[in-house]
Amino acid sequence: MEEETLAAGLEAAKRITEFCRFVRAEGLSAGVKESVTALEAARAVGIADRELLRLALRSVLCSSKDEWDKFDDLFWVFFRDVERDKSRRKEAAGSQKKDDRLPESAVSTFMGKSGATGEQEDGGRAVVGAATTERLKRADFSQVQQKDLAELERLAVRLLRQMSLRLSRRMKIMQPRGRVDLRRTIRRSISRGGDPIYLSFRNKKLQQDRLTVLLDISGSMNAYSLFLLRFAYALQKHFKRVDTFLFSTQLAEITPMLRSRDLYQALFALGQVSAGWSGGTKIGESLRDFIDFHGRKLLTRNTLFLILSDGWDTGEPEILAAQLDAIKRRVRKVIWLNPLLGMSEYQPVTRGMSAALPYIDVFAPAHNLESLLDLERHLTRS
Amino acid sequence: MASPTLPQGKQIKEPGDIVRGFEQHGYITDAALGTVVFLGTKLGKPVLLEGHAGLGKTQVAKVLAEFLGAPLIRLQCYEGLDINSAVYEWNYQKQLLAIKIEERTNQTVEEKEKHIFSREFLLERPLLQAIQTENVSPVLLVDEVDRADEAFEAFLLELLSDFQISIPELGTVKAKHIPHVILTSNRSRELSDALKRRCLYHWIDYPDLEKELKIVSARLPGIEQELNRQLVSFVQSVRHLHLNKSPGVAETLDWAQALMALGKHKLDQDAVEATLGCLSKSVEDAAKIKGAGIEKMVASVGQ
Repeated sequence: MEEETLAAGLEAAKRITEFCRFVRAEGLSAGVKESVTALEAARAVGIADRELLRLALRSVLCSSKDEWDKFDDLFWVFFRDVERDKSRRKEAAGSQKKDDRLPESAVSTFMGKSGATGEQEDGGRAVVGAATTERLKRADFSQVQQKDLAELERLAVRLLRQMSLRLSRRMKIMQPRGRVDLRRTIRRSISRGGDPIYLSFRNKKLQQDRLTVLLDISGSMNAYSLFLLRFAYALQKHFKRVDTFLFSTQLAEITPMLRSRDLYQALFALGQVSAGWSGGTKIGESLRDFIDFHGRKLLTRNTLFLILSDGWDTGEPEILAAQLDAIKRRVRKVIWLNPLLGMSEYQPVTRGMSAALPYIDVFAPAHNLESLLDLERHLTRS
Repeated sequence: MASPTLPQGKQIKEPGDIVRGFEQHGYITDAALGTVVFLGTKLGKPVLLEGHAGLGKTQVAKVLAEFLGAPLIRLQCYEGLDINSAVYEWNYQKQLLAIKIEERTNQTVEEKEKHIFSREFLLERPLLQAIQTENVSPVLLVDEVDRADEAFEAFLLELLSDFQISIPELGTVKAKHIPHVILTSNRSRELSDALKRRCLYHWIDYPDLEKELKIVSARLPGIEQELNRQLVSFVQSVRHLHLNKSPGVAETLDWAQALMALGKHKLDQDAVEATLGCLSKSVEDAAKIKGAGIEKMVASVGQ
């Protein structure tokens, strides 16, 4: 008897470990250490009650809202109750398809072996298919590697690097002396009989700014976006945090891709993202998405908010104005770069642009390298 | 890792104990939160509570402390929070005085130094207090940890794994009893993976109608059932409006109190308009609620 329970316990432990591996493969961040904790948790609440086990494992294996939302599906796919299946088999006798989704098949699915999969997986695949077609549009992106562009590119990298160095240096000079550090002062005064002859100082650490960049990649903006992307990449070294997004009709975050040390790697990785390259533009809607999904995290008083767009908006200008207003009130500075501003005859009279103007702190051109370098003065604190 | 010490005679055997215990102390919760808190006490792991403001994250720690009969130690995080205000600080004024007083004694510099850097001159801040409590594990609430900066988070991580603090002048202080740690975050920034992985995670969501009704009647025992039902349904529908700041349970309670103070027995349009400030904390949100048609919404919860 005892051996039997022991064996059952071992079996359960094995299943839970397998489950941990399963959720890891599905993108949850839980590591090996969490697997151990998961086992401890399962022991603490017991495995008889599936619901309780789900709650316990969820608290251990998840570490963010996203993972939390994903977890339940993963759990039920994996721990599909044998009993449940039995009862379901009774209900729908002859419907053999359900049996294919026993845990074993779920495991083999994620392991990459092709097996019987349910409707959900099929749905997922359809989405991937649509994304692939869109991703094919990255072609114009890679075409940039033309010969005459190469020289300009090198120059850009060099100048932007210089600029980011200059920015860093400027921060240092402006540090004031700060307040007396009593702790150190007393410590040092003891050897002089307690008279604080030399004062120690300490200073508030200068808060570095964060930069959030939104790049318009609609058809009209293609050529410029690419250089601004380099600009954003170069700035990463200077700011505490740079978050970069692409938008046209929808919004896509590309921050992780830009983290790559090598610019070319980064550009390559970017080719994998698709946000409807070269489609129309819905600036207002994209900004609303941004506020909804990233606003809490990124819109702070330390944020410089930089938009690159020509302001040709196919959405409603009222929406754009409302979103910009909301953003402006939460960040330190809104900078709008418009490449068309470089043309002498350009007037910002497009519906979108004129709706946006009241909410912009800095409205500047960004049509060539020179204008980008000129931005330096807007990016420092003064 | 060792688990926290429970007070004598207190036993927690299963998540249900937590749920029932919390309910006795006026905090309505569900099995999910019960399980997390249960595991936290059982495995000695910190519990990270995330969710929108006003949903009772902080309250969890308070109620846990009440339920356990353990002291609650609270550390409110803010930008620029440093070791001096979170862990310990020397009492400088007292140190300066002591140096002056001892000026004429024959003590050597070393003796003097040893004296003014002794426990007598140490000001204990929350984190040091938390690992120094006698007899029983305290509840340590690290509130709004997302507001502290990354450097502090790294320090916290170290503390939560070893439960010891080293003070250069004094040596290492080791925890007598591992505290029950509750961290809360409003997700104003993403916490580091390392910290998140050290914790048990729980996302507190807006309560459903039934649960919110229970919460309101538990917290405001004097409320009339009809008013309770109407105002909670109203709040629930307001949450669907995609406001900049959806009203949390705290707002519901505020609002209920306001309506009770005005002597209302049921919801009507005038009452809602007069007290809209309890629900929406910005002009835009108020406009959105008005735009959705207060009269219509009142009517739909009225039957």
